[in-house]
Amino acid sequence: MYGWIWRHLPGNTWIRALISLLLVLVVVYVLFQYVFPWAEPLLPFNDVTVNN
Amino acid sequence: MDGARSVAAKTDTDKGAERTGEAPPAPRRRRGRGRIAAAVSVFGELLITVGLVLGLFVAYSLWWTNVLADRAAHKEGDKVRHQWSDPGPGALDTKGGIGFLHVPSMKNGEVLVEKGTSSEILNEGVAGYYTDPVKSALPADAKGNFALAAHRDGHGAKFHNIDKIKKGDPIVFESKDKWYVYKVYDILPETSKYNVKVLSAVPKESGVKKPGRYITLTTCTPVYTSTYRYVVWGELERIDKVDSKRTPPPELR
Repeated sequence: MYGWIWRHLPGNTWIRALISLLLVLVVVYVLFQYVFPWAEPLLPFNDVTVNN
Repeated sequence: MDGARSVAAKTDTDKGAERTGEAPPAPRRRRGRGRIAAAVSVFGELLITVGLVLGLFVAYSLWWTNVLADRAAHKEGDKVRHQWSDPGPGALDTKGGIGFLHVPSMKNGEVLVEKGTSSEILNEGVAGYYTDPVKSALPADAKGNFALAAHRDGHGAKFHNIDKIKKGDPIVFESKDKWYVYKVYDILPETSKYNVKVLSAVPKESGVKKPGRYITLTTCTPVYTSTYRYVVWGELERIDKVDSKRTPPPELR
């Protein structure tokens, strides 16, 4: 999987490393900005109130 | 002797390199094994990815949400303070927050108090007073229970140190012109999340029988979960007037 991505990136090793780093940052951004805020209320970790 | 052996080894590997360099057509059995190996390695990489994503989620819940919530609460708090010092034209905007909670034993400074306990409100790093299922009283009311909730972990974690509060500790609520000084008189370290009676105007579970001016702090327990609720009750001891310099009451000094 990661090997496949690596092989399909253009450029030499340094450029590939740079692009990989950017890809990782994009993935982390999407997770923190969209995926985790969506997933969090679905998980039973953060209910603090008493209710019926 | 050693040198001779390494030379021999070298020629051996050289020969091996030459042999692979020629790239003989791989036999069919090896290609089948290669496919299985590829599938296993993709599965392994997926597992590693899941592990990393879960790790990131922990970082998000316990660190990043605090960063965001503290930032939001700071901004809102500044707005409230600014409005207090300079009301300007227009009516008082109560949507922003009604005041600040100071609990010295939690060692977390001031906590902005807003109306409501929905996650949108609490996620801003504030404490909310209940409107549902029980309508909380406000400190200024003659009788009733000022019932609050805030996060134990993440989103500012404003009640993280609720277990550090001991009986007799002060809880101070700061409004625009009054300091309401409460004294903790009972603690319920674990109760069901459906136990809404802890919020009643006269919270009998804390041992009181007569209507009075109470404060109730609720959050989840144990830490990092929300299986049970932790409850702290206090009763109003006195009300100090805010002076021109906003000198805090002795409990906060």
